[in-house]
Amino acid sequence: MRDKSIVIIGGGIIGASIAYHLAIMGAKNVVLFEKNYVSSGATGRCGGGIRQQWSARGNVRLAMRSVRKFETFKQELGWDIEYRQGGYLLLAYTEEEAESFENNVKMQREEGLHVEILTPESIKRRFPYVNTTGVLLGTFCPTDGHANPHLANFAYIQRARELGVEVYTHTEVTVVETSSNRVTGIQTKRGYLKCDVLVNASGAWSKDVANMAGSDLPTESYRHQILVTEPVENFMTPLIMSFSKNFYIRQTLHGSFLMGQGDPDEKPGINYRTTLRFEKEIATKLTTVLPFLRNMRIVRHWSGHYNMSPDAQPIIGRDRNVENLFHAVGFSGHGFMLAPAVGEALAEMILTGKTSHIDLSDFDMNRFERKLVKEKNVV
Amino acid sequence: MKMEHIERPELLIIGGGPAGLSAAIVASNHGVRTLLVDEGVKLGGQLVKQTHKFFGDEEFYASKRGFEIADILVDEVKRSPNVLTLTQTSVIGIYEDAVGVYDRTKEKVFSILPGYILVAAGASERFLSFPGNDLPGIYGAGAVQTLVNQYGVLPGKRFLIVGSGNIGLILAYQLYQAGADVVAIVEITDRIGGYEVHAAKVKRLGIPVLTNHTLVRAIGQERVRGAVIAKVDEHYSPIPSTERELVVDVICLAVGLVPSVELVMQAGAELIYVNELGGYVPRRDFRMRTTVDNLFVAGDLAGIEEATTAMIEGKIAALTIVEELRNLDLSEEIERLQKKLSIFRSGPTSEKVRRGLEKMGIHYEGVSFQNVKQTPGLEHKLKPVIECFQPIPCNPCETSCPTGAIVVGDNINNPPKIDYEKCTGCGICAISCPGLAIFMIQEDYTGNRSLIGVPYEFLPLPQKGDVVLALDRDGNIVSNAVVEKVIKSKNLTNLVYISIDRDLAHSVRQIVMPESKPASYVCRCEDVTVEDVMRAIDAGFTDYEELRRYLRIGMGPCGGRTCSSLALNLLTRKTGRSPYELRPQISRPPIFPVPFASLKGGEEDEG
Repeated sequence: MRDKSIVIIGGGIIGASIAYHLAIMGAKNVVLFEKNYVSSGATGRCGGGIRQQWSARGNVRLAMRSVRKFETFKQELGWDIEYRQGGYLLLAYTEEEAESFENNVKMQREEGLHVEILTPESIKRRFPYVNTTGVLLGTFCPTDGHANPHLANFAYIQRARELGVEVYTHTEVTVVETSSNRVTGIQTKRGYLKCDVLVNASGAWSKDVANMAGSDLPTESYRHQILVTEPVENFMTPLIMSFSKNFYIRQTLHGSFLMGQGDPDEKPGINYRTTLRFEKEIATKLTTVLPFLRNMRIVRHWSGHYNMSPDAQPIIGRDRNVENLFHAVGFSGHGFMLAPAVGEALAEMILTGKTSHIDLSDFDMNRFERKLVKEKNVV
Repeated sequence: MKMEHIERPELLIIGGGPAGLSAAIVASNHGVRTLLVDEGVKLGGQLVKQTHKFFGDEEFYASKRGFEIADILVDEVKRSPNVLTLTQTSVIGIYEDAVGVYDRTKEKVFSILPGYILVAAGASERFLSFPGNDLPGIYGAGAVQTLVNQYGVLPGKRFLIVGSGNIGLILAYQLYQAGADVVAIVEITDRIGGYEVHAAKVKRLGIPVLTNHTLVRAIGQERVRGAVIAKVDEHYSPIPSTERELVVDVICLAVGLVPSVELVMQAGAELIYVNELGGYVPRRDFRMRTTVDNLFVAGDLAGIEEATTAMIEGKIAALTIVEELRNLDLSEEIERLQKKLSIFRSGPTSEKVRRGLEKMGIHYEGVSFQNVKQTPGLEHKLKPVIECFQPIPCNPCETSCPTGAIVVGDNINNPPKIDYEKCTGCGICAISCPGLAIFMIQEDYTGNRSLIGVPYEFLPLPQKGDVVLALDRDGNIVSNAVVEKVIKSKNLTNLVYISIDRDLAHSVRQIVMPESKPASYVCRCEDVTVEDVMRAIDAGFTDYEELRRYLRIGMGPCGGRTCSSLALNLLTRKTGRSPYELRPQISRPPIFPVPFASLKGGEEDEG
C-alpha cells in the first residue's frame, strides 16, 4: 500500500495533515492538489480554537486525541504555531442550556476529560473582565486552547514536502476518472495522473468533489463571518463562547481579539462578502459581555465557510459507493481543531485498514441511514 | 425627507475632490437626489492644498490655483438643491447589505442604501523601505502639503525630498515659499520625472535635483536627524563610496501614488494591473462604469492623472447615471466631454496614461506618439522600432543601415522614416543609435511570446538563458524575461534579445539583472522587515496570500495600504513573476479601524 499512488484534494489543514501523516507513516507516492493557495479556504479564515467540550462522545474522543497531538506539535514538526492551552469558558444563559452543560460534563468526565463547572461568582473571580449578567453557569476545560491556523497549515505542508509529498497549489482537479466503482485517475491543468486512492479533503467543496467521483455527500457549505481587532497586551487567556447567545471570542498570542457568530438565516453556497449587520450585531452583543471591547477598534472582517453535515459531525472514512475514495469533510466549523487526529486516523485507515486511537465508525457516512445524534455545541 | 436623502440616496458619491464635486453638480442639475461624503474637514480633496496655477482648458479653470478651483466647485455644490454633503464622514466598507459610513464627529457608524455609487476616493501615497523608515519625521509628500498649505504647519526646518515627479517638484517650491530649506531632491533614475517647467522653477531657486541618487537610510534615534544619500549604479543599487550625509529633520517621500481601490474591490469590481495608471485599478469602460453595474469610478482612483481629467471623468460618470435614472439621452453632452478628454490626453505628457488605458481597451489617439502598431502585418518579422520623436540633428541610423531602409533626408533634424520592405532586421541601426532609441521587435516569436532586442551598455552582460527583469519606459519592473541571444558590439552598445509575454512587446524597453540589497521595514504595523519577506520567499512562500498569512503583512491597522505594494514588489523582484500574474491584497472592511462603540446598537439602531 505504501507504494500506491495517493492523491489528496485540498490544501487546507485537513488535507495537509493527512499528507503529512501518510508521509511519516512511509507512504512514498502522495500528491496533494490545492486549487487556490495553502490555507485559502476555511483554515485560513477560521477562529483557531481547539476545544474538547462537545456534546457528542465521538467528537470528544477525536478532540482529545487532537489535543494530545497539538501538545507535541512543536516537538514533532519543529514549528511554533502559537499554541496556547488557556481553556475554553462556555457560558450557559438558560436553564435548558445549563442542564445540558451538566450532562455534557458528566459524559466528558467519563471520557477522562478534566472539566470544571463554575458559578457566575467564580467566573467573575477568575475572569474579572467578563460581565456575568444573565449567566447561570459556566464550564471550563483548562486543556482546551487555540493556535495560529495559518502556521499549523504551513507546518504540515512544509513538513510533508520535506518528506517527499508533492504539493501543487493553484491546480484544480477538474475531472475524476472512474471505472467500475473505482477511481482510476484525475485530471488537472498540469495533466493526467493515475491514482490508486483518492482523498477528498476539499472542505467547502466536498460535495462537488464527491459528485465528480460519481458519489454524493449530504454536506452543504454556509458562510460564516469573523472579525479581528487591533492587537493589545495579552490578558484574556480562555476562549469564551456561548451557544444560546451565539458567539465565540478569543485573544490571539499576538494580542488581537478574534470573534464570530453564526447566522441562522444564511443560505447555503459560497459567498465571500461581508455584512455590516454582522459588525453591528457582534459589537452590540460582545460589548455587553466584555465591556472592555468598547474602546477597542475593529481592523478587519472577512468570511469563510462551514462545510455542514446533517448532524454537525465530520464525515471521515471510506466512501460507500466508490471503494478507493476516502473523505475527511463536513467538519461543520471544527476542522482545524480536529485535524491532527483526523490526519493520523485517516492515514492509518488508508495504509493499514485500521486505526490505533480513534474509532472512525462514529464518523462513517452510512450513519445518516441510522438515527442522527446531532452535535449541539456549535456556533 | 433629510433622513431619506441620507439613507437612500439615488446616487452616493464617495470623495469630495475634483471628480466627486463635478459629478455632484451634474447629478444635482438633473434633479438626482445625491449624497456626497468626504472624510476631510473641508471639501475639495487634493485641490485645497494646491497653491500653484493649473494648466489646461478654460472650461476647467485653467490658470486658476488649485484651492481657488476647489472654492468654485464647493460653492456650486453648496448651492445645488439636490446635493447633501457630509464632511468628516468616512466610508468604512461597501458590504453585501449596505454601505457602512462612519461619522467622525458623532463617532457612530450608520448604513446607506444607495441606488448608484460613484467612488472618487483618490489615491494614497507610495512608501519605500529603507533603514530607519519607521522614524518620526518621515512623511509622504502629500501629507506635508496638507500640513503646510492647508493647516499652515511646517513640520520641520530642513527637508530632503525623494522623487522628482511633479509632486516632489511642486512640494519643493511650496516649502521654499513657506520659508523652509530644501536641501535636495533625489531622483533614482537618470532624468527628472515631472514637467520641465516645474523642474526649472525649482532649479532656479538653487534647489539641487540629484538624478541617479537615492536615499540610503535615515539617521536618528527618536526622530529624523539626517539622511544618507548615495549615487546609484545601473541596477539602482547605491554605490557605497559615494555615500554622504545630509542634515535634515524631515524626509518627504514623493515616489508616486497608488489608486485607493479598497472600496471598489469590496463591492466586487474587477481590478487589473496597469502599471501606467498607478498599479491595480478597476476595469471600467468609456463611461466610467466598473464591472459592477451600478458602481462607477472617476479621478485618481481610476488611474493616476490630474485634476482636469478627474473633473471630466466625474461629469461623464454622473451623466451616464442620470441617463439611466431618468431614462434620458445625454449622449451629445457626453460625447462633447469625451472629445475634451481625448484632446487632453493626446499630448506627449499623457503618453503613459494613453498606454495604460489602451490595456483596458480604451483607446486615445496620441498626436505625436509613433507606435509600432503602425506596422500591421509585420508581426512575424524582426524589425527595428524607432522611438525618436524630437527633431534633433542626428542620422547614424540612416548612415549605418546596410540596405538603405532608413531615411532621415535632407534636413538632418527630420525624424527618421523606415521602409520595412527593405529592412532585413539586422539590428545595426539599434547598435548605432546614440540615443539608444531603436529597439528590435518581433511580436510573433514563439507561442504567445515576443522577441525584443534592447540596446545594453552595462556590465556584466547577461548570458543566453538568464532570467532578467524587464522594465518599461519609466523604469518600472513589469515582468521577467528570458535572454535569447546577446549580440556584442565593438562600440560597446550591445544588443540583448529577450523573450517576453506578447502583451508587453510595446511596453518593455529595458532590462536589469535581478538583484536586490534590501533592508528595513515592509510592514510597519506588524514589524515585518525586507529580510523577513526574503527569507519567507526562500522558504517557499511565493504566493502573496500565503506570505501575508505567514508574516501578517497587511494585517495591521493600516490594512496593507503601505506594505502590500512593497511586499508584492519584493515578490516580483525575487521570483520574476510580474504583477500582472500576482493578485493584489484582498480588501477587507472596515478600510480603517473603527471602534466597537461606534457600531454598538443604540437609540437609532435596533442592532
